[in-house]
Amino acid sequence: MKRFRLGRSQGVRWNLSGFKPGWIRPVGLSLLHLGGLSLLGLGLGGCMGEMPRPMGGLDRQLEQAGSSSAPALAGRWLALIAGRGGRDQVLLVDVERGLPVPLPGLNRPDAQPLSVAVNRDGNRLAVVRQRDGQTELVLYRRELMALESVAMQPPGVPRRVSLRGDGHELAVEVSRGGLWQIDLIAIP
Amino acid sequence: MALVLALLLVALSGCGSWSWVRRSAGPIGLGQDNRQDPALSGNGRLLASIVERSGRDTVILQEQPSGRLLPLGPLQRQQPHRSPSLSWNGRYLAVIVQQGARRLSVIEDRSNGQLHRLPLPADSEPQRLSLAPDGRRLAIEVVRGGRSLVQMFDLSSLLEADLPGGLPTTGGGLVDGEAAPGQR
Repeated sequence: MKRFRLGRSQGVRWNLSGFKPGWIRPVGLSLLHLGGLSLLGLGLGGCMGEMPRPMGGLDRQLEQAGSSSAPALAGRWLALIAGRGGRDQVLLVDVERGLPVPLPGLNRPDAQPLSVAVNRDGNRLAVVRQRDGQTELVLYRRELMALESVAMQPPGVPRRVSLRGDGHELAVEVSRGGLWQIDLIAIP
Repeated sequence: MALVLALLLVALSGCGSWSWVRRSAGPIGLGQDNRQDPALSGNGRLLASIVERSGRDTVILQEQPSGRLLPLGPLQRQQPHRSPSLSWNGRYLAVIVQQGARRLSVIEDRSNGQLHRLPLPADSEPQRLSLAPDGRRLAIEVVRGGRSLVQMFDLSSLLEADLPGGLPTTGGGLVDGEAAPGQR
């Protein structure tokens, strides 16, 4: 096991010009139109079940960041894997502000993230990633900018990870001898 | 010398991942089963995962650390399941199900057995999802036009919040403490 302390560096930013989080409100419609739209919405809702309300502003920002996958929500945080041109990285987005926050030292050009989880205060991220032909599980502590490798015992290949809200326990899917298993690991 | 070694051991035990407490999620039946897609509830008391039942991927819910299986409501009939996600106290279980030729994101409210279906546009196929522990937001990875995209949804008008300190839910629409058929 190694513990790395990492220096501060600039995190990922996206262009926020014209970005306003929240639902897009229709403009320039009369009350009659709005009434008709409401009735239509109610009618469709009855046929199709409840409609989740898209968070359009944030979705547009995510779309501009390239492809995105493996979302994990906790508290006000959305962790995900985003990439453009085949180079993926872990992003941590403050959903309430609609902004990504820096993760100095977590992303590296020779690593391909596969799964990510975040705890409620956004301080701990668990990441499964491939590097140098190996798949590894790492724990990143954002306030300390520290990255810690979590060894699989008995040895195995991790794939997906989930974190408890307080960040003091993780569940990880591990391949051992052709069988997928789930390990629960308490974290100090 | 012994004192130095003892101090060294104490220091290492505080920072080494080898000292972290590890355990298996526990047996769920006879023999060995493949178990995938782990999802802890926010409070850590429940673990959802996907196992194969009669050749179909099926979500199961276990109390931790006992490993006791908890009942599910209408969800248990809509396999194959994938990508489960739990709210803080485990009141809500979100999962992707198969409905005919299409995949659909659904959320089961375990306090009353109600199933919320969350339709997506016809050109979007859900792959993975994550429910915010308070149940107010849902993130869905969809494939649209061959490209993976994460989309966010506000559920605050659909679901009551499931916050820390809330009551645990027995599940299957049962009142907390009521015996559930078939549970171990």
